Amino acid sequence: MKTCIACGMPMEDISDFAANDPSKDYCVHCSRPDGEMQSFEEKKENLTKFIIRTQGFNESVARKIAEDMMRKLPAWKEYFD
Amino acid sequence: MSGESFMRVSTRQIQKLNTRKKIIETAYKVFSEKGFSVPSSVIAKEAGVSHGSIFAHFPTMNDLLISLLADFGDKMGVSLHVLAKKCDSVEDLLKEHLKVLIEYETFYSRLISEKNRLPDEAKNTFAIIQSTVAFHFSTVIEREIEKGTVKKLPIHMLFNTWLGLVHYYLLNKDFFSDSNESVIKMYGSELLSTYLNLIKNERKV
Repeated sequence: MKTCIACGMPMEDISDFAANDPSKDYCVHCSRPDGEMQSFEEKKENLTKFIIRTQGFNESVARKIAEDMMRKLPAWKEYFD
Repeated sequence: MSGESFMRVSTRQIQKLNTRKKIIETAYKVFSEKGFSVPSSVIAKEAGVSHGSIFAHFPTMNDLLISLLADFGDKMGVSLHVLAKKCDSVEDLLKEHLKVLIEYETFYSRLISEKNRLPDEAKNTFAIIQSTVAFHFSTVIEREIEKGTVKKLPIHMLFNTWLGLVHYYLLNKDFFSDSNESVIKMYGSELLSTYLNLIKNERKV
């Protein structure tokens, strides 16, 4: 099973892929409305907001966790070298 | 490289990977039973590998712990994802969450009870695991709030209330059970029905 290079989500159904396109390596949650992949800063911001909204963490802690999530993913490797 | 030497290299690599896997699996078992402060010599003995072999794979105990937690997080994340995808209601989703917790209960309980003494990177791995749960939880519960079946409360409070309830039983297992039986197996359905009663809107007749 393919996993999203930008957030690690397993992609099984066609609707999991960006723009319903199974040849894409990133998921629907990591794409912009036009189907392009979000930038590093956009993704970090969105993940941070997601953690705050769903788990209520402190903002700077949430940002650190978002970075740690991204650190392990192939799409963002160059940002952590 | 000749075919024969290529075979030799890959056999050695496979052995190396097998040893690493064996160390991680053993550490999972030993940490579950005895906690995270167990010395590496105990893990080596239990895994049947030399003490030096552990250091060859994991220079510090911290490295071993981080790899183990990342591995655990991936496994739990995939289990949750596969089960959660087919859930339309918060009730079904939480039933699946409990099933996954039963599968990993001993290690998970150890993790929540010792989390504050672990290094930051390990703590964050724990938060990443919870984020996977929160992702599925928020998708389903937002739909239910929109339909009016669940009270309009902040998502993080709905999520943290559920985790708080489940973790209380896991952390105080000795009060709720005098056997080795899974506390989630014993109380899961009561926790779930109570939680649903608290968050659901009264049905209009």
